[in-house]
Amino acid sequence: MNDEKTFDHRPDPELGAVLRRALDPPRGDQAAFLARVMARYDGALAAATVPTWEVLAAWSRRGLALAAAAAVLVGFLVGRALQRPEPETFDAAMAPTSGPGVTALVTATDPPDASVVFASLVEQR
Amino acid sequence: MQPDSPSRPPAPPSQPPQGAARIAGEADLVARTLAGDRAAFGLLVERYAPQARRVARAVLGDPDESDDAAQDGFLSALVKLGQYDARRPFGPWLMRIVANAATDRRRRRQVRKAEPLDPGLVGGGPRPDADAVRSELGERLRAALAELPARRRTAVVLFDVEGYSHGEIAEMLGIPEGTVRSEVFHARRRLRALLADWKGA
Repeated sequence: MNDEKTFDHRPDPELGAVLRRALDPPRGDQAAFLARVMARYDGALAAATVPTWEVLAAWSRRGLALAAAAAVLVGFLVGRALQRPEPETFDAAMAPTSGPGVTALVTATDPPDASVVFASLVEQR
Repeated sequence: MQPDSPSRPPAPPSQPPQGAARIAGEADLVARTLAGDRAAFGLLVERYAPQARRVARAVLGDPDESDDAAQDGFLSALVKLGQYDARRPFGPWLMRIVANAATDRRRRRQVRKAEPLDPGLVGGGPRPDADAVRSELGERLRAALAELPARRRTAVVLFDVEGYSHGEIAEMLGIPEGTVRSEVFHARRRLRALLADWKGA
């Protein structure tokens, strides 16, 4: 046996032997233990095997949840699209609200005053 | 597991074969079990049953409950066998599962009641071994083990009885290797003192 104050990295055979004797199961019941484990062999494997329908059921629950979420999203988008006002036609958009407007500026022979261009663009908004 | 590691004790008679031959043999048994060979699983159980029962008893104390935990461990290993890496030794992988099964049972027992000293460890249990009853040293050792924290006694049993390295025990118990060394050191100090008293008496 080693000095108890030293840290020994090797197993202690004497201590190991007495501990083994103290913890060893009773002699002769090894076969009984083996038999009881093997008696539950099939049950353990059966319990661990998840039936196919359970797998499908788990996936169907997930699929239903995803479908419901997708339906809500589509409903929201469709509703939002229906509430939006009709877009204006191109001509209506280009029509001047007051004064000559952008068309007059584009078709003029003389270059426009920059401040007028800016003001007309701001007005369009 | 390193077969030539200095921390590996000489193989006791009931110990599984050592080294690469053991790993190859066990990998073959595992492959056969995975293929549905019931007898191959039986061989693995037969080979490791004594070790698994000792480890479970180190954790739990009570012999009957320990056997239940060892059985749980084997069946859990059977179910998880696909996760076993056949390039590594089977023993540490299995003992980790057995130790976890025993620890789970211990936790459930602690939830059920405030836990006194394990009756099986102190020798007053409902069904102590016949050998142990005859052995006063065995009784004293079990009493001393019962006084140790569960992790400490598991560590010393895995190291000094089962011959696993500190690193392997660290993996099995999910604790740092330094903690394993410390636990083994403290457990040995207590148990060696007991043995010294026994010899002196």
